[in-house]
Amino acid sequence: MRAIERQALRLLATADAVSNRLYESRFNPLYQSGTILIALYLTLLVTGLWLILFYRVAAPWESVAALTGNLWAGNWVRGLHRYASDAAVVATGVHAFRMFAQGRSWGARTLAWVSGGVLFLLLLLCGWTGYVMVWDTFGEQLAREIARMLDALPVLSEPSSRAFTGERAVPSGFFFITMFAHIGIPLGMGVVFWLHVKRLSRPAILPPRPLMYTVIGLLAAVAVVWPLAIAPKADPFTLPVVVPADVFFAFWIPFTRGLGGGTALTGLAAGALALLVLPIATARRGTAAPAPSFVDETLCTGCVQCSIDCPYGAIEMIARANRPAELVARVDPALCVSCGLCAGSCAPMGVGPAGRTGRDQIARVQAFLASTSRRPGEIVVISCDHGAGMHAPALAAAGAAVYPVDCAGSLHTSVIELLLRGGAGGVLVLACPPRDCWHREGPRWLVERVYHEREAELQARVDRARVRVAHVSAGERRLALAALRGFAAEVSRLEPPRVGRAKNVEPVCDRLEPAGRT
Amino acid sequence: MMRLTRLLGLGIALAAAFALASASSVRMTAHASPDSVLRLAWTARPERVEDCRAQSEEALAKLPPHMRQAVICEGTTASYHLIVRREGAVILDQIVRGGGLRHDRPLYVFHDVRVPAGESAISVRFDRVDATTAPAVAPPRTDTALSESGAPGIGIDPARRQREIEERTRQRGEAIPPSLAVDAALRFVPHEVILVTYDPERRALLTVTAPPR
Repeated sequence: MRAIERQALRLLATADAVSNRLYESRFNPLYQSGTILIALYLTLLVTGLWLILFYRVAAPWESVAALTGNLWAGNWVRGLHRYASDAAVVATGVHAFRMFAQGRSWGARTLAWVSGGVLFLLLLLCGWTGYVMVWDTFGEQLAREIARMLDALPVLSEPSSRAFTGERAVPSGFFFITMFAHIGIPLGMGVVFWLHVKRLSRPAILPPRPLMYTVIGLLAAVAVVWPLAIAPKADPFTLPVVVPADVFFAFWIPFTRGLGGGTALTGLAAGALALLVLPIATARRGTAAPAPSFVDETLCTGCVQCSIDCPYGAIEMIARANRPAELVARVDPALCVSCGLCAGSCAPMGVGPAGRTGRDQIARVQAFLASTSRRPGEIVVISCDHGAGMHAPALAAAGAAVYPVDCAGSLHTSVIELLLRGGAGGVLVLACPPRDCWHREGPRWLVERVYHEREAELQARVDRARVRVAHVSAGERRLALAALRGFAAEVSRLEPPRVGRAKNVEPVCDRLEPAGRT
Repeated sequence: MMRLTRLLGLGIALAAAFALASASSVRMTAHASPDSVLRLAWTARPERVEDCRAQSEEALAKLPPHMRQAVICEGTTASYHLIVRREGAVILDQIVRGGGLRHDRPLYVFHDVRVPAGESAISVRFDRVDATTAPAVAPPRTDTALSESGAPGIGIDPARRQREIEERTRQRGEAIPPSLAVDAALRFVPHEVILVTYDPERRALLTVTAPPR
């Protein structure tokens, strides 16, 4: 499974790089697949509300045909409704692929993965009911295939497929139930969506407006320029040779048509189950599973910053056992994904994953400074493992000293200060593009801490001219090298730094008074 | 250069949108074969094959009043033999029973049989299995005798007894006849369906074809 994830990640990195080139990372649709889905969902709600006003359960095909024949009041709305639903299937696929490739489908994210799988199945169900409502030849094919599979279950006293034999007209009650399901399912999806983002702090709901309007506008433009046609009316006495099928909702029919109803149902159910239980296969176990963050209560001052900064709501502030008036942080290991953003937020360095707390970072950077002879005035590139870290060899070849970190958001600003005091001419932090952070808010918190005095802020004594934060994805080597060259040129115009005690740099955290000590 | 990249991005997005619209309506082959279909589809209540006996006054006296029933009928529903022939050759041969675990639900017939296009002599037979041996007259005789005797029975309201008789008579009337048949020379058009179904009002099988266009 890891090998598959790595291949997927390579593919994703290439696609991201191309898309960043075309649209900038701010408007890269691949980074916004989840929020685009919400925008499409809202589009479907609005267009669906309009369309349902004209639908008649007693004459389904006729009412939709009348709507389709009205170019300005109906056809393009129906087209936008259909294309938005197709785009939602595509966006779901992109979103799931991204989460899978980035290893964000297991552990504390299992709820999000499973609820996302349920949302996808509900989306398909909603689409199927929508097409059946039209009751054209395609809708009839869908209904017959689904009924054929349901008839394999030993729950009905007679096959549901008998409703379509032609003995009598399909009752309007059937279309009423289908319409009820088509309206009710999206409402249920709202509840599942709440579950999907339940474990996220500050979930992004909608994409940037220019992107949202562009996506919806493009679909609407296509709906106007390429008007929808309606397929012939379903006829139980006719076997259509060819039907106009929607690939996004009928992709499974060619595979199941030649199988018995029970076999087809079993196959589809197995596929759905495999999707939902994927977290079991992708879970890291043993030494591969990163340990959750922990809090050193002797150092915690109860400032609540880590609780605020945690992207997954895994840290809560509770009253101290021996001093109820004071707060102390507590990590819920079931919710913690070990991103380490809390380590970067803590001035006294009292919280973080084992081996990556602020104090661990200080020790590591001291070892880095002491390990080899550093060239005075060289640029140190702190690169995020998930992004620019992929370009470490190229950056090193360009003359930089590369200092990798798990996530730029977990970086404690003291590391930057220590590197400068250790003789670095400048520190370039290559974080991932904000919307591509594997831990959601790493680049955002890093920028706030370096430039906008967010705890644990980069101290005012540090020369900001020698610090730069840039955003580079895993597929943007040229951008990484360009950022390095540009920054190096700027630093070269500054006065040479004073070389500090490179091998005996004091950790700044010693100056802070831990809670409880006098 | 930046503007060119933006235009290229917009062009790609537009192409993707058109590709999506195109994939939204692809031609999918549903029925490639030029054959027709002979569809057999009906549902009906099977006959009850049962043994009815009037309860004696002593037996009724032993029961609590709400459980007293003048006539007790025990039995099962009949099975039927469905056989379909085309030009004399058997194309479908099946035993049909009522639905449910105890086979006391309405039976249903539902088959789609592929038939080559052209004229074909079709024969459909739907006969009750064991038609000559099943006792079919016991229930009416018991009911009639009870009605004529006027004997009230212990604790059984005469109106209720009459309702029971009427109910049993109604159920017997709703049951499918013991033998149904249709023989016809049918013209099968490619990709069209001819339906053979049961008309409960006429109590006979009939064929239904597509209305002329």
